[in-house]
Amino acid sequence: MANTQAVCNSFKTELMNGIHAFGTTVARAGTTKDTFKAALFLASATLNKSTTAYSTSGEVSGTNYTAGGVTVTNANAPANASDVTYWTPSASFAWTTVTLSTAFDAVLIYNSTQGDKAVAVYTFGSQTVTAGNFTLTMPTNDQTTGLLRIS
Amino acid sequence: MLIHTTKGLIERSELAVKDIIDEQENARVTATEWYLGDELVRRDVNVNILRGLSLGAEQESL
Repeated sequence: MANTQAVCNSFKTELMNGIHAFGTTVARAGTTKDTFKAALFLASATLNKSTTAYSTSGEVSGTNYTAGGVTVTNANAPANASDVTYWTPSASFAWTTVTLSTAFDAVLIYNSTQGDKAVAVYTFGSQTVTAGNFTLTMPTNDQTTGLLRIS
Repeated sequence: MLIHTTKGLIERSELAVKDIIDEQENARVTATEWYLGDELVRRDVNVNILRGLSLGAEQESL
């Protein structure tokens, strides 16, 4: 037998579940899962890895689009396979009968329970929608393609 | 069948439809454009995210 250094798989999953607090204070006391939202951003916006929280700056606007975006349907618990913890929303993000005339190319997922803190930015090429539907279909929820993964 | 457009509800048979498929690095985008004559009266978009993002925690020797 030998020891092997590793970040434990259980820890990766526990990170996604808010179990560990490395800071000098415990930042949260809630015992219920958070609500996440998805908002669309213009191609001219500057979202990136340095984005810390949702802001209306650069967000799309148009008929039937509500600022802040849509609530993420979250029926999937984080899971681990092949040393990768992964999580994917359990439903697509959908906007119905919207008109978004100014080109947009990104969606920000953020935690609306925790001060709108940013989670991730996904880009998909510049789009417009005219009196139609816009849908973001989620990838397969597994260790290879899941929307958010810790490897 | 009636289709919601910028001109209100229009019979499907009066509209021409064009699908545009665009392959991005991590997404497949399908745009469906509906035309009344030469005028674009509806545009739907579906983005199929093929692969999400990963936080690398690769282990290296100390």
